[in-house]
Amino acid sequence: MTGPVLQRKIRWSGRLIVIGLVVQMLSLLWTHPLAFLCFALVGCPLVGAGILFFLYSLVSHEPA
Amino acid sequence: MQNAAIIPILFTAIVAVLGLLIAMRPELTIARGGKIFAFVALCILPVLSVWAGFNAQIERSTSTQFCLSCHVMNDFGQSLYVDDKSYLPAAHFQNNFVPRDHACFTCHTDYTMFGDYKAKWRGVHHVIVQYFGTIPKPADIKLYTPYNNRECLHCHAGSRVYEEAAPHHKTPDMLSRAASNQLSCMNSDCHEFVHDVADIGGATMWKPKADGQ
Repeated sequence: MTGPVLQRKIRWSGRLIVIGLVVQMLSLLWTHPLAFLCFALVGCPLVGAGILFFLYSLVSHEPA
Repeated sequence: MQNAAIIPILFTAIVAVLGLLIAMRPELTIARGGKIFAFVALCILPVLSVWAGFNAQIERSTSTQFCLSCHVMNDFGQSLYVDDKSYLPAAHFQNNFVPRDHACFTCHTDYTMFGDYKAKWRGVHHVIVQYFGTIPKPADIKLYTPYNNRECLHCHAGSRVYEEAAPHHKTPDMLSRAASNQLSCMNSDCHEFVHDVADIGGATMWKPKADGQ
C-alpha cells in the first residue's frame, strides 16, 4: 500500500464511504419513509461502493 | 429522533471520522499499522455501521408514527380512536392489546420467518406509490390478501378469554376452523368492523386523558 496511485484510490474509497455514512447518519435523524429509502437507496450503495473500491484497489495493486 | 437510534448514529459518526482520516491522509497506509487501520476503518467498521443502521431503520419503521407519516394513512390512524368497542383496531389500540407505539405493525406484519421483511418490502412498494404512483383514496385501500387468522392467533391462541368465550363455541369445531384459517375471524360476521375509514367522519372519537398520542 505505498504507491501514489493506490493512495489516490484509497482516498476515493474513503470519500465514498464517508459520504455514504453521512447520508446514513442523517437518515437516522428523521422518522419518515423517505429517510428509510435514503438509507437503503443512497447511503448503503455509497458505502458498499466505497468498500468494494477499496478492496479492488488492494487486489489490483502491483507493488513496484 | 428515537433514543434507540442514538447509538447507531454515534457509531456511524465515529466510523465516518475514521474514514475521513484515511481519505485525508492516505499516506498513513504506508506503515504496517496504517494498513491494518485502513482495513478496519474502510472495510470492517463501515459494514458494522450499515448493519447497525439497518437494524435501527427496520425497528423505527415498525412504529405507528412511521406508518402514519404518509397523509393517506391519516384516516386509518383516526380509526384507532373510534369510541366503539366493536371496532377491532380501536379496541386493541385503546385497551393496550397492542403496543400503541407499534400498533399498525403488530397486526399487519406476517408472523412467519421472514414476515417482518415481507411487510417492509410491501412498505417500500407503498412509498413508491406515494411518490411516483397514483395514491388511492383511503377507503379504496385494501389488503393484498385476506387477513390471515395466524396474525390474530399469534397473541390470542391459548388465552382463556379467547378459548372460553361463548361466541367462539357456536359450533363445536369453531376454534379449530379458525386455527386452520378456514373460518376468518373478520369475514364471518364476527369481528367485521375493522378500520372502516369510509365512515370515519361521523364516528365519535375517544380522547385519551394523559396520553399524548
